Amino acid sequence: MAGIFVYSEDLALAGQLLTPALDLKRSLGQPVVALTADAASAAALAALGPDRVLVLEAGPASPEALAPALADLLQREGAQVVLVGGTLRGKHVAAHLAAVLDAGLASDAKALAPAEGGLGVQRILYGGLAVSEEVLAYPAVVTVQARTFLPPPPSAAEVAIAPQAVLADARVQVTRVEQAAREGVDIAASQRLVAVGRGFRTREDLDLAAGLAGALQADLACTRGIAEDEHWLPIERYIGISGQTVKPELYVAAGLSGQVQHLVGCREAKVIVAINSDERAPIFEAADYGIVGDLYQVLPLLTAALAR
Amino acid sequence: MPQILVCFKWVLDEQDIKIRPEDLSLDTSRAKGKISDFDRNALEAAAQLVEAQGGRVDALTFGGPAVKNALKDVLSRGADQVLWIADPLAERADARVTAQVLAAAIRKHGPYDLILCGEGSSDAFNQQLPVRLAALLGLPCVSFAQALTVAGDRLRATRKLGDCVEEVETALPAVASVLSEMNKPRIPTLKQVLGAAKKPNQEVKLAELGLTPGQLEPRAVRVGAKGFVMNRKNILFKEPDAAANVARLAASLAAEGMC
Ligand SMILES: Cc1cc2nc3c(=O)[nH]c(=O)nc-3n(C[C@H](O)[C@H](O)[C@H](O)COP(=O)(O)OP(=O)(O)OC[C@H]3O[C@@H](n4cnc5c(N)ncnc54)[C@H](O)[C@@H]3O)c2cc1C
Repeated sequence: MAGIFVYSEDLALAGQLLTPALDLKRSLGQPVVALTADAASAAALAALGPDRVLVLEAGPASPEALAPALADLLQREGAQVVLVGGTLRGKHVAAHLAAVLDAGLASDAKALAPAEGGLGVQRILYGGLAVSEEVLAYPAVVTVQARTFLPPPPSAAEVAIAPQAVLADARVQVTRVEQAAREGVDIAASQRLVAVGRGFRTREDLDLAAGLAGALQADLACTRGIAEDEHWLPIERYIGISGQTVKPELYVAAGLSGQVQHLVGCREAKVIVAINSDERAPIFEAADYGIVGDLYQVLPLLTAALAR
Repeated sequence: MPQILVCFKWVLDEQDIKIRPEDLSLDTSRAKGKISDFDRNALEAAAQLVEAQGGRVDALTFGGPAVKNALKDVLSRGADQVLWIADPLAERADARVTAQVLAAAIRKHGPYDLILCGEGSSDAFNQQLPVRLAALLGLPCVSFAQALTVAGDRLRATRKLGDCVEEVETALPAVASVLSEMNKPRIPTLKQVLGAAKKPNQEVKLAELGLTPGQLEPRAVRVGAKGFVMNRKNILFKEPDAAANVARLAASLAAEGMC
């Protein structure tokens, strides 16, 4: 009994979770078990080197509805570490598991390693202003965001894939599902982004940013206010602690101040460029290159210069 | 008419926190407190529900001694009464401890039809309290609600998830966490601020909640916190001539292989 368990309803993320899980296996000497509710993904997970794959058989239930049954299973198995993909659904599941296992939970952990007294993790604090080090007593539950780790290399070992009957919690009923309009771009995967903020005065003015994005072959992103208050861009385009986390090659921030809650979502970009009329805007501290100036003047010039 | 409880956290305003350059430690000495941002959305949601269809709103918080500073603010945002638990232990509490304390207080002072929380606190943003609370109380939980309605003994909510929007329904009593996009928290009017002074607040003593020492011991312990420092080139082009700045930026981007 014991073990390191990984679960995400997102197959790619489930694969990425196996990297820290296999790492912990080396230090804790416990088997790694991948859980999935999607029988079709079991073989793909098995090929990434866990010791076992358990296929949860619960019909078309939502991931959150599986949480109580998962908690039961993990309790019976004596799970020591539970890694859950840090999607919104995953965070709900993880919090339920932690409550039932009476465990500590760190969400959006960046680094995991055994420490004195339990599992050491790093996570952000105060909207990204600080990084905190925490130690979770075992059993420990941790959520990890997509792309925090690369998936492990494929392994040729034979892995047992076993079904596991589970009973879904039917108290919350889903009466309608609307797929988010994706418009074909997943900015989390974009290599280049032009991000806009409240320095733009009207929705039409975003054309200036779109022009620059065209010249750079970049996609548009924004701050929370542009998406949530102005509705000028879809919600899934906003970057930050409560929005998307991105790691592009190039991040051009135009007319946005660079508050920490925004920056935390883009500060792992390789190159950050800022255009802002206020020399004291915090975005300049976070930028490799910056132009102090009016975006209405700078963006057309820059677009023309890059298009050449 | 629904009896609503809003759980809120009194946090340090991160804008007032400075990083000491010598050792990257956090200087919180000048940081003022505030009601955690997303909890204000939860308070606003409760106030709007009650304004539309009657009922009442209690607010509940567990915090350090400074939590008393929250009482007037929370009462001016629509709560009819605030229950507060102030104990130095809160400073080390993890979400497990906080959920146990709040659950015990709810068992003692409830029942409530609907318990609302923000999606996460603006300091730790661990996004787990509402689900934990629901699990401890044996209630269903709807996370990440963008819109909420109460009809009879049913809660209907629109949940915003990464890849879709879901309409969900559950029987009350239930717990829900709300997203910031749900509403714009009110800026209390003078009348609301003055009215707050007349509303009741009730201290709940931690010792009276019957929790064991083990329940109050965090299982996620913070052993350190350091300011995050950006290591960037910080090259600024700030000539009065915008075209010259643009030319230099374009040259830099070319040197980086970006164009
Ligand atoms: C708990 C919490 C969570 C949050 N989560 C997020 C999040 O996930 N994502 C997010 O983005 N925000 C988030 N925020 C909000 C964040 O703190 C900032 O308020 C927000 O990012 C600022 O948006 P902005 O830069 O568009 O606007 P502002 O801060 O108003 O900045 C506008 C900038 O434009 C510049 N400007 C104006 N005119 C011009 C011009 N003509 N040319 C050039 N520059 C110009 C100004 O100098 C200014 O710097 C959160 C806040 C809290 C409290």
